[in-house]
Amino acid sequence: MSGRFILSRGAGRVVAFAAMVLALGAAFTLAEPRFLSNANLAGIARHMAANGLAALGLTFVVIVRRFDLSLAGVAAFTAMTMGAVIAAGLPLWVAVLVGLAVGVGLGLVSGLAISRFGMPDIVTTIGVGSICAGLAFLYTGGRSIFQNFFQSGITDLNDARLLGLGVSLWFLLGIYGLAWFVMHRTRTGAAFYATGENPVAAYYSGIPTRRYVTLAFVACAVCTVLAVLLILAESGNAETNKGANLMMPAYAGVFLGAAIMGGTSVLASFAGILLITMLLDGFALMGVPYYYSDGVVSLILLGGVVLFSDAARGWLAGLLVLLPAKAPATQGEKRG
Amino acid sequence: MSMSLSGPAQPAPQRKRSFARIITNLWLLAALVAMTLAISQQRPQLLDPGNIATVLRSFSIMVIMVLGLTWVIASGKIDVSFMQVAALANMTCAALLQQGWGWGAAIAAAIALGLVVGLVNGGLVARMKLPPLIVTIATAGMCASAAAALGKGTVIRIADPGPLRGLLETTLFGAVPVIVLPVLGLCLLAWYAQERLAMGRYIYAMAQNEAAVVAVGVPVGRIVVLLFALSGASAALAGVLLAANLSSGQPTIGGAYLINGLTVVLLGGMMVHVGKPNILGSVTATLFLGVLFSGAALLGLPDYQRQIIQGALLLTGLAVATGAARMHAHRRKGN
Repeated sequence: MSGRFILSRGAGRVVAFAAMVLALGAAFTLAEPRFLSNANLAGIARHMAANGLAALGLTFVVIVRRFDLSLAGVAAFTAMTMGAVIAAGLPLWVAVLVGLAVGVGLGLVSGLAISRFGMPDIVTTIGVGSICAGLAFLYTGGRSIFQNFFQSGITDLNDARLLGLGVSLWFLLGIYGLAWFVMHRTRTGAAFYATGENPVAAYYSGIPTRRYVTLAFVACAVCTVLAVLLILAESGNAETNKGANLMMPAYAGVFLGAAIMGGTSVLASFAGILLITMLLDGFALMGVPYYYSDGVVSLILLGGVVLFSDAARGWLAGLLVLLPAKAPATQGEKRG
Repeated sequence: MSMSLSGPAQPAPQRKRSFARIITNLWLLAALVAMTLAISQQRPQLLDPGNIATVLRSFSIMVIMVLGLTWVIASGKIDVSFMQVAALANMTCAALLQQGWGWGAAIAAAIALGLVVGLVNGGLVARMKLPPLIVTIATAGMCASAAAALGKGTVIRIADPGPLRGLLETTLFGAVPVIVLPVLGLCLLAWYAQERLAMGRYIYAMAQNEAAVVAVGVPVGRIVVLLFALSGASAALAGVLLAANLSSGQPTIGGAYLINGLTVVLLGGMMVHVGKPNILGSVTATLFLGVLFSGAALLGLPDYQRQIIQGALLLTGLAVATGAARMHAHRRKGN
């Protein structure tokens, strides 16, 4: 529903997004010509795959108007779990299945606590995240796990190529395609949006809203596990701080994308995470210290939500006649 | 995104009502006493004057850190930038002292900075109607970034101990650091404001139904700005105290305080006022957590086990508070 709306009415927004990508790319290329090198573009694609999956998970939760702050904890715990399974000599697919099962379990815990028992989303997920971050130390007391990683073939997820592009990028595109189809072309997707827009109306329309809220948290945890899998594949070992850097880009990507595209959607998150990943990789390439790049991502997140907020749009519309008269008034995620 | 703990009214059996009252009023205090006794049975060192002084010192800093946060959460909003505001104030204080500023000026500058971050948070939430979580995640990121940038990613040492050091180190009866007195005075003041001033009523009313409070003519926007500003200023004060306590500016000190602060406020929300964060609850919960951590360290539990216990505690507190709020809502409806 929302997706179709954006696709048909939002041509201007797509053009604005393309212009931002080009401007960002041009700026980085001017500052550092290696930005367009094959190695760097491949790096962007790889990081985008992990960041993008985390952002996709968050998208589901944001669509049902909740927040999930357990990303980092879930990532750490599932990274160590999958690492421990691989180190035990079991095949890769077993590790992935175990990781996914743990993810589903954790998503169910948060989702049920929030939807069934009415616990507040933010604090519940912070608590679950904290427990997970602690549990991540159970296997090795905090030491890195690397045994059997090369034999298990997990690094192929990072190194293998298909039609000239990295496998992880295809993986990302496939999952985004699936998510786009479900969220924007099926009744299930419409039910997710209805649950977020007006849970009471959705409930009386026969949508089991609690189930969809739970489902959103499960989907978020599963996507986080997939993101972690790619991070493990890239680094070739499992550490307890894996995934600590997933949360901020995911939030920035989802909300920047929603700001640019005029509403939270699968495509908006894709657009947002592309911009954020370009930015982070560009800064890393230029040797900007990590503490500045974190600040810039935060600034862009804040700038994005401020510039595209209803209040700012009202002021701008008063100031500039250049703006389209019928700015789509999406109340979307901007409501407290 | 509503942070209010009171869910929809659910039918509950009659006998549970008085039970809910007892839980919410005395639970935490009784648990604190029981835990202190249990741990001191195993490890008598817990009640050594030196250990008590250490516990009370970090208690004082923690209480200041969550003083403003308590009301922000009580009003149905959230602030996840407080710990990074503390880190930024901590580093600002240390950096300015390194530049040759006096302690007084450095403290004033650090607290002013915290106030500014709070005003920005409050302004964006109240005037621009942006979600508090997103706003404070972003300002937290910027504060953390600025804190690290101030020291180029490393620690700044403070040579001159300064006047606050005396407050933290000097003890009454060998066990109570002097800092506890002004901190408790501040808490009493806050308790008075919360219980006896109109502002305190408005805070809780906002959590229930903000539109209704706006409709009766309360300047809700101004109160929200004030609450976030208080949260920023009190977190900054805690950051300054940390600078004095550690004799250094630590850029990454914020991280650990997020979960601690929220645990304290939510756990305290189980006490005195059902399902509502309040000052007295936060103070008790801070002491509870302080004793728990000290006990865990004496019992030799590794850090990660402490983290698991704390997360479980946070979720338990949350579940009990949510359940109690439901029963409470039912009782009000029933009468």
